[in-house]
Amino acid sequence: MATKSIGRKPKMSPWDKSQLIWGWIFIAPTMLGLLILNFYPIVDTAIQSFYRTMPFNRGNVFVGFENYINMIADAEVWQSLINTFKYAIIEVPFSIAIALVLAVFLNRKIRFRSGYRTIFFLPMIAAPAAVAMVWRWLYNSQFSLINNAFGLHVDWISDPNIAWISVGIIGVWSILGYNMVLFLSGLQEIPGDYYEAADIDGANGFVQFFHITLPLLSRTIYFVLVTRVIGALQLFDLIYMIMDGTNPALPKTQSIVFLFYKYSFQNNQKGYGAAIVILLLAVTMIITLLQNLFQKKWVNQD
Amino acid sequence: MRKIIQILAAVLVLATLCIGLSASALAADSTAPLEVVIWDNNQQAGLQAICDLFTEETGIPVQVVVKSWDAYWTLLEAGAMGGDMPDVFWMHSNNSQMYMAYDMLLDLTDYIAASEVVQVENYMPEIWELYTYNDRYYGLPKDYDTIALWYNKTMFDEAGLAYPDATWTYEDLLNAAKALTKEDGSQYGFALNPSNDQDTYYNFVYAMGGSIVTEDRKSGYDDPNTIRAMQYVGELLSYCPPNTVMSETGTDVLAKSGQVAMITQGSWMVADFKQNEYMAENFDVAILPYDSVTGNRASICNGLGWAASAFTDRPNDCWALIEWFGSKEMQTMQAELGVTMSAYNGTSDQWVNCAEGIFDLTPYLQVASEEKTGDGNNMLVLRPYTFNSTQWQSAAQQAFVAAWADPSKMEEVCLSFAATMNNLIAQEVMP
Amino acid sequence: MGYEAKKRLTQAVIHLILIIVSFVMVVPFLWMALTAFKTVGESTSVSPFVIFPSKWITDNFVTVWKNMDFFVLYMNTLLLIFFRVVAACLTATMAGYAFARLKFKGRDLMFSLVLFQMMIPSQIFIIPQYLMISRMGMTNTIFALVFPGLVTAFGTFLLKTAYQGLPNSLEEAARIDGCSIFQTFLRIMMPLTRSSMVALGIFTAVFAYKDMMWPLVVNSSASKMPLSAALATMQGQYTSNYPQLMAAALIACVPMIVIYLIFQKQFIEGIATSGGKL
Repeated sequence: MATKSIGRKPKMSPWDKSQLIWGWIFIAPTMLGLLILNFYPIVDTAIQSFYRTMPFNRGNVFVGFENYINMIADAEVWQSLINTFKYAIIEVPFSIAIALVLAVFLNRKIRFRSGYRTIFFLPMIAAPAAVAMVWRWLYNSQFSLINNAFGLHVDWISDPNIAWISVGIIGVWSILGYNMVLFLSGLQEIPGDYYEAADIDGANGFVQFFHITLPLLSRTIYFVLVTRVIGALQLFDLIYMIMDGTNPALPKTQSIVFLFYKYSFQNNQKGYGAAIVILLLAVTMIITLLQNLFQKKWVNQD
Repeated sequence: MRKIIQILAAVLVLATLCIGLSASALAADSTAPLEVVIWDNNQQAGLQAICDLFTEETGIPVQVVVKSWDAYWTLLEAGAMGGDMPDVFWMHSNNSQMYMAYDMLLDLTDYIAASEVVQVENYMPEIWELYTYNDRYYGLPKDYDTIALWYNKTMFDEAGLAYPDATWTYEDLLNAAKALTKEDGSQYGFALNPSNDQDTYYNFVYAMGGSIVTEDRKSGYDDPNTIRAMQYVGELLSYCPPNTVMSETGTDVLAKSGQVAMITQGSWMVADFKQNEYMAENFDVAILPYDSVTGNRASICNGLGWAASAFTDRPNDCWALIEWFGSKEMQTMQAELGVTMSAYNGTSDQWVNCAEGIFDLTPYLQVASEEKTGDGNNMLVLRPYTFNSTQWQSAAQQAFVAAWADPSKMEEVCLSFAATMNNLIAQEVMP
Repeated sequence: MGYEAKKRLTQAVIHLILIIVSFVMVVPFLWMALTAFKTVGESTSVSPFVIFPSKWITDNFVTVWKNMDFFVLYMNTLLLIFFRVVAACLTATMAGYAFARLKFKGRDLMFSLVLFQMMIPSQIFIIPQYLMISRMGMTNTIFALVFPGLVTAFGTFLLKTAYQGLPNSLEEAARIDGCSIFQTFLRIMMPLTRSSMVALGIFTAVFAYKDMMWPLVVNSSASKMPLSAALATMQGQYTSNYPQLMAAALIACVPMIVIYLIFQKQFIEGIATSGGKL
C-alpha cells in the first residue's frame, strides 16, 4: 500500500476484495434505509430553509439567505441555544456519573440486584405523557407533593431562574436507567479475572475502579457521552409537555428544537423553522467533531 | 446459521402478510368505514352514537377517531400536502381560511343548494361566516360556544355578597373580586392567564368598545378602548393568584380546587365541570358583566364546522354524513347529549337541560340573543381571526406574560405588541 | 477492622446509596399510583393537602379500562416492538460489524453519514415519512408504525463500538482456519456482542414504545394505535381528570414492566455469567 507506482493501479488482494464486497453488503440495508428515511427529508429541509414557505408548500418563494439573516438577528434563537446548552450541562455529566456508580455497584454480587436494576430502569418504561404529567404534578406550585411536604413556596417550573434546573432534574431522572444498562453491558464484557488478579494484589475498590473499570469501559463511556450530548441538544418532549406557552420561564427554558417545532408546526413558517434546524445541525456537528478529536486522547484504543 | 435463516424467513413472511393485509384494506369499496377525525375526547361517544344511526339509515359504516389537538393539525396538514386527508373532519376558525383558500376542503355549495335537509337560514350566520370563502361554502356549522361567568356560591355567602346577575358592570366584578380575596393567599377573587384570551379578556375588550382585529385587518391592540380594557385586566390581576401560579395551573383547576371565587369560561367546559363534585356543589353560572361606559355586554363566539377532504373518492358519502350531522334531529341530539350547543337555530334549548339541577346554563344562551339583558346590550362577537391567526395569537400570549408580571406595563405592552401583530398580519399572503 | 467486617460495612454503604436512589426513582410512580386511587376533588385539594386517598377507589381504573380497548393497544404495541427490534438488530449488527472490523473504500464516509443522522432532530422526519407511507397506501397498518424504525443509526453506532472492543486475535485465527468473512461474522464475532445486542433490543423496544407523535399522525384508526399514542389522545384538549389519566398511565406501564422483568432474567443475567469467561 505504501508504494504508489504511476500508471499501475494497486492490485487488490482477494482478501481486500472480499472485504469490499462483504462490507458493502453488510451496510447496504442500513445505508439504504437511512437514505430514504432520513437523508432525503434533511436535504428537503435544507432546501426549504432558503424559501419563504407558503401553506402546504404551495408556491414557496426563494429568498436566498433571508431566513438565516433574520435568524442571526433573532435573540430568541440564541437564547434557546443557550437554554439547550444549559440543559445539556446538567443532564449529561450527572446522568453519566450517577449511572456509572450505580452500574459498578450492581455489577457486584449484591442482594436484590435485579430489584434495584428494575427500579432504576422504571422511568425508561413509563410513557412520556405520563412522566411529564406526574412531574408537572410534583412540581406544581399549588398542589405539589414537594412544596406541600416540605412547606415550601417554590415556583419550580415557572421561576426563570429555577425552571431550567428543574427540567434538567427530570432529564437526569429519566435517562439514568438508559446509561446504567449500557454501562452494565459494557462492564459485563470486562473479563472477571482482571478483578480477581487485582483482589489478589490487594487493590481496593477505588483503585480497581480507576485502574480497571474506567479504562476498559472508556469506549462505552465515550459512546454514551456522544449519544447523550446529541440527545440533550435535541431536547424537545420535556419542554413541550411541561412548559405552557404563557409560562414566564419559557423564554429561559425553551430549547432550539422546541423553537423549530413552534415555527414549523404551529406558526406555519416552515422556511424559518428549517433554518433553525440547520443551525442546530451545524452546532451538533462541531461539538461531535470536537468530541471525536478529544476521544483519541482518553479512549482506550485497544 | 439455520437459526438466522429461520428468523429471516419469518420476517419475510410477516412482512408480506402486513403488506397483503393493508393492500386488501386499500381496495376501496363503499362498505369501508368513512373516517371521521375530531380532537375532543368529550364528544367521541355522542358523535359515534349519531354516526351509528347514520349507518343504520344508509348502510355506510362510520368510525370516529380522536386525536390530540397538535397531532390533529399535523395529520391534517400532512394529509393536505399528500392529498390523503381523512374523509370528514372538524374545521376551526384558526385555520379555516388557509384550508379554504388553498382548496383543501370539499366545496359544499352545490350540495347545500340541492339539499332538502340543509337550509342556510336555519344555522347561525356567524358560524357560516367562518367557513365561507369567496362566497362558496366549505363547512357546515356544527356548534357554537359562548362565554359566561362562573362563581363560587359558598365563597359569596361567606363574604356576605350578593350573587352576580345581569345588573353587574365590570366595576362590580372588580369590587367583588377585591372583597373575595383573602390576604393570606388562600383565596383569590378571580383568575385569568394570558392564554385565556377567548374566554376572558377578548370579551372585556369588545364590551369596552375595543377590538383585537379591526375591520381592515389591523391589530386592535393600539385602540384606546382596547388599552382601557387591558388596563382593567391589570387592576383585576391584583385579586388573582400570582402569574406564575396561573401559568402552571389552569384557571379551571384553580376553581375546582376552591382557590378562586370567580372565573369566566366557555360553554365547552360544561361537560367537564358537570362531572366535578366540587364544581357541582359550589358553583353556578351568571351572564358576563357589561361595561358602564358603552352599555355593552360582549361574548366571544366561535363554532366548528363539519368539512370533508377535497381529495376524497367518496364525496357523495361524505356529504351524506355531513348532511346527517346538520339535520335538525341530529343537531338536537348533539345538544341533548350535552356535547355542545348546536348551531341549528333553536336546538340549544335542549343543551340547557343537560345540567338541570346542577348549573343554570341559561346565561350562555342569553348572551347569544342580541337584545338587552338587565341594563346591558348583548353583543355576540366572532372570535377574531385572520389568514394565519395562530401566529399572532401565540405571539400575544407570550408578549403579555410581561404585562401579567408587572401590570403597570400593560399599555406599553399593548402598543408594542400592536406593532408586532401588524407586522405578522402584513406577512400573511393569500394565494 | 477485620476483612469480613469491612466487607459488611461496604455492603451496607452501597445498599444505603442504592436505597436512596431507588426512593427518588420511585416517588413519581408512587405519586402516580396514589393519584390514580383518589377522586378528582382529592387530587386538587390544597387545604388540607391529601397524600393518601381517604378511600381507595378503583373507579378510575374501571372507567379507563372500559373506555380504552387495552387488549388491542397491547397487541399493537407488541407487534410494533417486535418488528422494530428484529429489524434494528438485524440491520445494525451487520452494519456495525462492517464499520468496525472490515476495511473497504467508502467506509469512513458512510459511517460519518450514520453519525450525522443521529444529529437530526426526529421532528423533521414526520411529514416527509408520512407522505411516503401515504403514497404507498400504507396508512393505518402495523407496517406504517414500524416504518421509521427499520434501520437505526444509533444501533449501528452502538454495535460498531461493541465490535471494536473485541480482540483482533479471534478474527485472525478464524481467517487462518479458512473462514469466510460471513462465517467469521456469524459464528465467531456476532455471538460475542450478545450483551450489546440485548441492550440495543431493550432500547429499541423502549423507544418504539415511547414513540408518540409518529403513531398519532400515521395511524388515525383506533384499532391500529399503540399505547403511548392512545394515552396522549386521552389528554383531550379540555380534560384535566388527573386521577383517570394516572390510572390509564399505570395500566399502560404494567405490561412493559413485566416484559422488562422477563427480558432481564433471560438475557442480562445470562450474559453476566457467560460473558465473564471470555
